[in-house]
Amino acid sequence: MRLALFARLAWQDYRCDARLSWCAILALAAVIAPLLVLFGLKFGLVTTLTERLERDPAVREIIPLGGARFNLQSIEALALREDVGFVIPRTRQIAATADLQGPGQMLTVEMLPTADGDPLLDGRPAPADTHAVLLSQSAAEKLGVAAGDVLQAGFGRRVAGQPQVAQASLRVQAVLPVTAFSRDALFAPLSLLEAAEDYRDGLAVPAFGWPGERPAAQRERVYPSFRLYARDLEGVESLRQYFQQSHQAVATQAEAVAQVRALSRNLAWVFWSVACLSLAGAFAALAAGTLGAVARKRHELAVLRLLGFPAVALVAFVVLQALYTGIASLLLSALLYGLAASGLNLLFQSASGEYACRLLFSHYLLAALATLLCCVLAAAAGGWRAAHLEASEGLRHV
Amino acid sequence: MLSLEAISKTRGADGQRYRLEIPALQLRAGRRIALIGASGSGKSTLLDLLALVLSPDPGGVQRWDDGGQCLDLAALWQQGRHDELAALRARAFGYVLQTGGLLGFLSVRGNIQLPRELLGLPVEGVVEQLAEQLGIADLLERLPGRLSVGQRQRVSIARALAHRPAIVLADEPTASLDPLNAERVMQLLVEQAAARDLCLVISTHDRALAERYGLTALQLRVEQQRDGLVTARLTEHG
Repeated sequence: MRLALFARLAWQDYRCDARLSWCAILALAAVIAPLLVLFGLKFGLVTTLTERLERDPAVREIIPLGGARFNLQSIEALALREDVGFVIPRTRQIAATADLQGPGQMLTVEMLPTADGDPLLDGRPAPADTHAVLLSQSAAEKLGVAAGDVLQAGFGRRVAGQPQVAQASLRVQAVLPVTAFSRDALFAPLSLLEAAEDYRDGLAVPAFGWPGERPAAQRERVYPSFRLYARDLEGVESLRQYFQQSHQAVATQAEAVAQVRALSRNLAWVFWSVACLSLAGAFAALAAGTLGAVARKRHELAVLRLLGFPAVALVAFVVLQALYTGIASLLLSALLYGLAASGLNLLFQSASGEYACRLLFSHYLLAALATLLCCVLAAAAGGWRAAHLEASEGLRHV
Repeated sequence: MLSLEAISKTRGADGQRYRLEIPALQLRAGRRIALIGASGSGKSTLLDLLALVLSPDPGGVQRWDDGGQCLDLAALWQQGRHDELAALRARAFGYVLQTGGLLGFLSVRGNIQLPRELLGLPVEGVVEQLAEQLGIADLLERLPGRLSVGQRQRVSIARALAHRPAIVLADEPTASLDPLNAERVMQLLVEQAAARDLCLVISTHDRALAERYGLTALQLRVEQQRDGLVTARLTEHG
C-alpha cells in the first residue's frame, strides 16, 4: 500500500481547499480548546486542594480518643497495614513531660515519641540514640538553644511525699520549624519516654542510672495511645472505618478529605457533561463536513478511481483529511489553552508551585487520541461512501 | 489483449431503457479505432466498459490476455473484485476525458506523474520528455485551473501516456476545442500512439476527422424497439 502517496495527495487537496480546511480546523478547535481549559481548571483546582491536604501531616493524623490499652504487638500489627504511613506508641501523657534547663531559663515541655518516617520530622533523621532529641522551634527559642547544644532534662516524681528528680543530659540534634509543630515540645526516642514513665512509676531505670524499685517481674508494657499517620489521604478514610469496626473511637480529618473528594467528583460531572455535549456536536459537524467533502469531490475521487487507485486509497484520502483537521486543531487548541492557562494562573496566583489551571502530558495525550479517534470515526461514513463511488458516475456529471 | 464477445450493458428503468450491445471487439497493439456515433448513442458508455470502470450485464465474454497475464474480467466484475480491475486499469490503461479529467489540486507535473507514482515507477525525466513532445514543457508547475482548455487536453494526453499503457482510450478529446486545437490534439494522440505501438480508441462524432487520421471506424447504430427500449449496436463501418 502506497500510504505515503495517498497521504501526499490528501494533503495537497487539503491545502488547495485552504479556506474550508481552516474553517474545519477552527470549528474543531473551538470545541477542544475550551474543554482543555475547563479540564485544566478542574484538575488544577482539585490538585491544589489535594496537595494542600497532603502537605499537612495533621490531615493524615488519626488520634485515639478515650482510655485505651494497646500492647506492642497490636501497634506493630497496625504498622504492617498498607494504609498506615507511620505509627509509634505513646506513653501516658502525664508522664510524658520534661523540665528542660536552658542557658538562661527552665521550661516544661511535652515529650513526643518519634522514629524514622515520622511525618512531623519532614525528612529529618530521627534521634540517633537515646540521648539525642529534636526540639520544636518555640521550645528552642524560649530555652535559647540551637541544634548541637546539650541541655539538662529533669524528670520529677514523688516517692512517699518526697519530691525526687532524675537528670539526663540530652543533645539537641535538630530544631523543627514552627510549621511542623507549634507547641513547646521535645521529640525523643520511645526509650526515653518509657524510661521517664518507669521512673515516675517509682521504678529504677538502669540504662540512665536512675534509682528506684526493681520491677517485680517481667511485665508487658501497656500504652494508652499512639501517634498514627495514614500513608495517604485515602488511608484516612479506610483507617477511620477500621477503627470504627474495632470500636476504638478516633478523631480524624476524614471529613476534610471527603469534601475535596466530593468537589472533585462534582466537577468531573460538570466537565464530562459539557464534554459529551460539545463532542457530540463536533462529531456531527465533522461527519457532515466529511460527507459534504465527498459530495463536492466526487469528480476528483472518480478520476482517482479511473486512474486505478484502490478503494482503500479513497477511504484514506477522506480519513486522512479528517486527521489533518484533527491534528491542526489539536495544535491550535494546545496553543490557545497555553495562553488561557498562563492568564488564569497569573490571575489566581496563590503559592508558588500551585496552579489554578494545569494539565499533565498524559491529559494532552488522551485529548489527542480522543480527538483523532473522533475524527476517524466521523470520517468513516464519508470514506465508506467514497469507496463505493462508481468511477463512471462521477466522471462526466460535474 | 482485451477481447469482448456478446457483451451488453443495460441502463434505465421500464419504458425508457437503453441497451448497448457489443457482438465482438478485439483491442490489439497497434490498432487505432474511432468509435463513431451521434451524441447520446453510448460512446462514453462503451469507453467506460472498455476502461473497466463500468460493469457489463451478466453473461458474455470480457477477457484480458497480454501474454503475461490472463484475466476473466467478466468474472471479476461478477465477484465484485474491483481492486483487481483497478490494478489492471492502473497498469494497462490510459484515459483521456472530454473535459475536466485533471486533478485541480495537483500541478501539471503532479498530474502527469501520478500514474507512474501509483505503479511505483521512476518519474525522473519521463515527465519532461512527454511535456516536450506535447508542447507543454513550460506549463509543468502550473495548476490545471490556470490552463486553457486545449492545454488541459494535452496535459490529459500526457498523463494517459505517462505509464506506457497498452491501451489508450479517449472520449471525445477534441469536442470542446476550436478546430485548430482539435487538429493539434488529434495529431498528437495519433502520433504518440503510433510511436508507442499501443492500441488507441477515440470516440468522436466527427467522422471526417477520424478518416483524416486513418483510424478504423466502428459505428454505434441506434435502433428504437417497440417497448421503448433503445439499443445501440457496435458494427464495423463498411
